[in-house]
Amino acid sequence: MRTLLLTLALLSVGPARETVVQPKETLADVARRTLGSPEAASELKAINHLETDSVPAGTRLLLPGQERDLAVGAITSAKSAVRQAAQGAARTEASLRLDDAERLLSSAHYQEAAAEADGAWRLVSQRPEDPSHFAIQVADDGTTRVHVDSGIPVRVEAEGHTRAVSPGETVLVRRGEAPGMPSGPNVAAAQSVLEAPVLLSPPPGLRLSLDAKGKGVGPLHLSWRAVAGARGYLVELKGPSPQTLRTPHPEASFSSVLTGSYRWSVRALGVEGALGPASERALDISTGNIKLEVQPPDWK
Amino acid sequence: MALCLTLLAAGDACRKPPPPGPADASAPPLARATLQHLRGTVSVKRAAADDWTAASEGMALLENDTVQTGARAQAQVRFPNGSSVVVGEEALIGIAETGGSPGRDRTDLTVRRGTVDATLEAPATQDLSVGTPAATVRAGREIVFQ
Repeated sequence: MRTLLLTLALLSVGPARETVVQPKETLADVARRTLGSPEAASELKAINHLETDSVPAGTRLLLPGQERDLAVGAITSAKSAVRQAAQGAARTEASLRLDDAERLLSSAHYQEAAAEADGAWRLVSQRPEDPSHFAIQVADDGTTRVHVDSGIPVRVEAEGHTRAVSPGETVLVRRGEAPGMPSGPNVAAAQSVLEAPVLLSPPPGLRLSLDAKGKGVGPLHLSWRAVAGARGYLVELKGPSPQTLRTPHPEASFSSVLTGSYRWSVRALGVEGALGPASERALDISTGNIKLEVQPPDWK
Repeated sequence: MALCLTLLAAGDACRKPPPPGPADASAPPLARATLQHLRGTVSVKRAAADDWTAASEGMALLENDTVQTGARAQAQVRFPNGSSVVVGEEALIGIAETGGSPGRDRTDLTVRRGTVDATLEAPATQDLSVGTPAATVRAGREIVFQ
């Protein structure tokens, strides 16, 4: 039995979809062990339809799959983008959508959470100079459908509630009701059309020498070929100073990184937080600035 | 009269006396938009009129005017700030008042039925508010710079 439990515990660290509650473990302990955060207990509670936080040892609990990673990644990127965004209506609405995303995450609605976080990210990433196109359809009973094709998001207000609708999203408003949640094209369909980015620079196998900057070196510039249909890119730097960022352009810069061996990967981002396949490449980074001291000449 | 001839190009300006002030109820209606690219049967009902009349290319639309399109008809409504909407077939839209109604948010037009496709070529400097029986849709500089 002990061996079985140990095996299950080990499995829970990897891609297993289940875990077993250990003696004296609370739900928060299980969440910390399996999902890295005690706050994720609410997700376990939702997934397993639990009514209380106390679960007897030996209970088998379902764990979330990769969709949680996508949602958490989308929320992290959106938070970063919102933090860097200028004050204004777009940032305020993005913050509200981020709050919604976190509420959805805590109730294990991962796809919806990723969509909300992605919507928040787009709110602060759109360029206001792009032309804006949207359609409004009003049915005989007054039901209103708003679809944004391109450009900056539009705001849909009804019954004292406001909903930002980003490009690719549609909102339905029934008479006397608040705007519904924005919906977009099917995530799976969007994923299937996104291709893996072709990485351009730095080239493979390059040992990159960068100038010292702060405690590390930098800046590190990465670029890749734009992917058709991509609304942005998720860039991951894995190594001594791991970093993740989301960018609307096919390039990214990290101002300072520690020297060492890295792998960097890029995934195209589609609608509703859909991610395309990753392209990955190795990279060695070292300090490149050589201190030159010119001695005064011996001759006069 | 000479002044009137000089201002003939200004359209309604000569037909009616200049606006005496906001408190005067007899202030003339303001041109709010222009009707363009008409296709099929497009009718306009002026705010003060009881009858529908056929729309014409370049027709000025005034506050509280109503535009109706028939089957397979289409028209573009262009606003002075450059924003525009293409009104699809079998639609009914209204041009809103400049100041809006008391207690209600300002809108540029109301869509009572049908589909409109809106375009803001430069959302950083343009805005458009569309009212429907269920919601108000706002786009443009308000959301960017508010």
